[in-house]
Amino acid sequence: MNERVRKLKERLQVDKYPICVEKSLLVMESYRQTEGEPEIIRRAKATANYLDKKTIFIEDDELIVGNVASKPMGLEAGSLGPTWPEKELEELRQGGLELSAQDEMKLRAMDDYWTGKGRTLWERMGLYYDDERLWPFIQSGILLPPWEKKNEGRGHGAAGVGWGLGVGLTLIVVDYEKVLHEGLNKLVAEAEEELRNLRYTTADSIKKADFLQAVITANKAIVRLAHRFGDLAEEMASKEISLNRKKELERIAETCRWVPGNPARTFYQAMQSFWFIWMMIASGTTAGGRFDQFMYPFYKKDKEKSSITDDEALELLECLRIKIMQYNFVGGNKLQRDKWAGLARWNNFVIGGVTPDGEDATNELSYLILEAAKDCRTPHPTITVRVHEDTPQDFMLKALELGRTGIGMPAFVGDKSYIEYLVANVVPLREARDYSLGGCLDAMLAGKSRTSAIGMFLVPRVFEIALNNGFDPRTGRQLGPKTGDFENFKTFDDFMQAFKEQLAHFMSLTAEEHNILLQAQRELYPDPVHSLLMVDAIKEGKDVLDRTLPFENGSVLNPVGMINVADAMAAVRKLVFEEEKVTKEELKDALAANREGYENIRKMCLAAPKYGNGDAYVDMIARDLYQFWADTTATFYSIYGAKMKASGISITAHGPGGAITGATPDGRYAGENLADGTVSAAQGRDIHGPTALLRSAMAINQAPYQSTLLNMKFHPSALRSAEDLGKLATLIKTYFDCGGKHVQFNVVDRNTLLDAQKHPERYRDLIVRVAGYSAYFVQLTKAVQDDIISRTEYML
Amino acid sequence: MIESHNTKGLIFNVQYYSIHDGPGIRTTVFMKGCPLKCLWCQNPESQRLQREIFFELEKCTGCGICVQACSEGAIELFEGRSRTNRKKCSGTGRCAEVCPVEARKIMGRSVTAKEVFEEVARDALFYQRSGGGVTLSGGEPLAQPRFAVSVLKLCKDAGIHTTVDTCGYASWDTVQQVLSYADLVLYDFKHIDPAEHKRYTGVSNELILDNARKIYHELAIPMLARVPIIPTYNDSADNIKATTQFISSELGKNIKVHLLPYHRLGETKYERLEKMDLAVLIEPPAEEQMLALQEIVQSFGLEAVLGG
Repeated sequence: MNERVRKLKERLQVDKYPICVEKSLLVMESYRQTEGEPEIIRRAKATANYLDKKTIFIEDDELIVGNVASKPMGLEAGSLGPTWPEKELEELRQGGLELSAQDEMKLRAMDDYWTGKGRTLWERMGLYYDDERLWPFIQSGILLPPWEKKNEGRGHGAAGVGWGLGVGLTLIVVDYEKVLHEGLNKLVAEAEEELRNLRYTTADSIKKADFLQAVITANKAIVRLAHRFGDLAEEMASKEISLNRKKELERIAETCRWVPGNPARTFYQAMQSFWFIWMMIASGTTAGGRFDQFMYPFYKKDKEKSSITDDEALELLECLRIKIMQYNFVGGNKLQRDKWAGLARWNNFVIGGVTPDGEDATNELSYLILEAAKDCRTPHPTITVRVHEDTPQDFMLKALELGRTGIGMPAFVGDKSYIEYLVANVVPLREARDYSLGGCLDAMLAGKSRTSAIGMFLVPRVFEIALNNGFDPRTGRQLGPKTGDFENFKTFDDFMQAFKEQLAHFMSLTAEEHNILLQAQRELYPDPVHSLLMVDAIKEGKDVLDRTLPFENGSVLNPVGMINVADAMAAVRKLVFEEEKVTKEELKDALAANREGYENIRKMCLAAPKYGNGDAYVDMIARDLYQFWADTTATFYSIYGAKMKASGISITAHGPGGAITGATPDGRYAGENLADGTVSAAQGRDIHGPTALLRSAMAINQAPYQSTLLNMKFHPSALRSAEDLGKLATLIKTYFDCGGKHVQFNVVDRNTLLDAQKHPERYRDLIVRVAGYSAYFVQLTKAVQDDIISRTEYML
Repeated sequence: MIESHNTKGLIFNVQYYSIHDGPGIRTTVFMKGCPLKCLWCQNPESQRLQREIFFELEKCTGCGICVQACSEGAIELFEGRSRTNRKKCSGTGRCAEVCPVEARKIMGRSVTAKEVFEEVARDALFYQRSGGGVTLSGGEPLAQPRFAVSVLKLCKDAGIHTTVDTCGYASWDTVQQVLSYADLVLYDFKHIDPAEHKRYTGVSNELILDNARKIYHELAIPMLARVPIIPTYNDSADNIKATTQFISSELGKNIKVHLLPYHRLGETKYERLEKMDLAVLIEPPAEEQMLALQEIVQSFGLEAVLGG
């Protein structure tokens, strides 16, 4: 870290994050003027109104400019619905957010606009939740978190989206190259041309006119904003005393007047252009795409002309990391926020992998991106390394050296399994090889796919229900079909069959929920900026949420806690049906009593085979369950006319999900966390080391999943020498060669974490990875902290 | 020696992803029983060639179920907790089975060579890619020679690289028979002085050094030297010099020397075995000292590695 980066980084450490209201007010100002106009036009105008009037500033030492909110480290209050209720707001304040009483009043004054008019996502979705069928399901929490009121869904209130209006929590990778290489001016000109040539012959052509008009309005405003930064920089330069800084500001002025309107000509311009466009689409899940690939031509050209050194490139990469740290996100009610664990974000930058031709794609920039993360040690953005057979060993070592620092990144993903998955979904091989990741780990093609419905489905809740003949002990309702009393099942297979019937039933309801969500988003959140950055945007003339994309994975079914159920099934099979050591009645009683008075049964349950130890007895059950999930998922269709896809990311749903799930026969108490990841073992249940865990994970057919998640924790002593890292690299490659999709490591020792729990003030800088992203440990909920600590630590 | 798939042996752990016990990713089989009694032993559960109880005092609620379950009358209640008379206990493991709070665990598992082989072979994929394999350690693998040979042969026949980690204290006949199935030997040098060696480990080192010469020159098996560094016992510069002198002049300069700093991971094990009287508390060596010792080894022209 040089002096500049150190200073910039220091400013990230604040005690309070201010909630800002400027954006909400400007958006509302526009909304009130455009009532009745087509939604996409309204959103374009609101975006333009905000961009034209937003407060701008350039901070000392900055090279990449563009302030996130109206105050440093601020979060602009969301503009998609009413704000948080008083109680929640109070909690947020205690959790480190700041909102003045005056600003709160300004936000409250807008609540009325949003309430009771079908303008929010929850109200829209709630319209379709009939009391008989869908509403009890939504209330059950099988899909986390449960709703309490039809019009409040998972809670109002959000803060921290970027400059755009966004499309909600969507996993998407846009085509950054379009802006970097062609510039927005050209894209806008194309839209204008298309509009001139448009003839109103169909309903679609009229909608297309709206779309094109919106694209022009919103994207022109982005260029105007960039110019405002240019003017500001020029003005600051004229007053600047330091000659060095003056030069920098002049360069900033020149750059902001050039990009993103025009094609970037240098690496520096490309970085600035990237930041502008990034802010327009920034959300908690905005992904950086194959950053080392699309930025490489700019770097290479500069290097060839000797107009940039690696130190300068590194500095810019670090400045970008700092900029991304200035951006935060918080939303929803407490349950929803717990699901996301603190100020969580999934801003994934992908490096390495193969080129469309199948050659190794690693380049100098790939190494520099790792170096920047190692040097500047911020938890965001996260980095994922794509690994293939010929990934250079020194690149693997460099990546593992970063991991060894305990920063919780990079994650590793296997090209083989991802590419196979895409090809199986009829993506041409060359495009499949160019895949990227949306959110944590979901397979995406830049500009050609997006996932906007991905619920957290609690499989162990369904296990409880299956055990009770369709009756849900938590809500006291008959939620599922009557598949038979547990006491009457003659064989294990009969019980498994009943469970699968229940599972398929609730998956089907989830598929409906996802479709309702997709449709509500489609109607409420058209976004001309995102949309322009999708493939053939202008020719298609449709919003990103209003079109079927080349790789259509709009709706995804995602199981949480499947491993608990696999372990539970193994225990039931062994103890109840095979060895008959526990009667069916005893087991049910023990679970209902949360095992109080039944310690012996719990001990037997714990001793039953557990996933994560390479034990075929239970691994085959896990395999069967995941296969069933994938096969069943493929029977549902999304509103985009494509089959739904299976995915396996649990984010941090295992904490709050566990909290509303009763005791399970894997030995888990009621309320305890569910297993994290999707092919990780339940916490502390894998006792035979990393290879045994991987053998279990390899037993699962991961091919039909667009992501799976495997967490491993290593004590630093396993990663001392280059030789140690080399062995770990081999471990990773072997796993990926055998169908593995993802693995990530936590490298911290237990005592450090325990101490951090006791003395959070001493560990503000401590970074850990929680299922797919990195976060400051002290900002996590206690349950998540406990979970990290309890994960098996491989002392080697 | 007659080796057989059904030869039984007593082991106390199979550790996968062992990365500090030979090349590549390995599986280390820890065998029970050792002819040495090193004062600093960090695997005290490895010493006896019979099953033993591991007892976690802090978990024990003093319920007394184990007292009744023990057929040997080896357990009594004392100050509200259970206590085992280790002389009476033969390691039946009944108490561990009934203990409701898992305060009692049985150390030692009787297995056939075939069974161990099957456990080892599970990681074959990882061995292939990393150049790893199986390592027999302990305890002392040579203390159960028939079993060791049987396991090694099964592995070798399956194309798995074999390593034996040994203290070298056994008859030449035994050494020769077991190591003929080893691709690599990890050979321990605990002290170069025969009297000191006897003082700290219970046996003299003459046989050990003699076996080392023969293994290197007659059997010509690749060898790695492993020297544990135990502060105040064997960590003097003189001892390391003399040890290295022996290795370089009487064996060969191509032998890599691993200097293994003492660690305290085993300290709690003495408590679990109710052998606190035998535990010696030693501070691990400082990093600077390790580096200094490394330099000594290097000054003889030998490659020296700190740690596994």
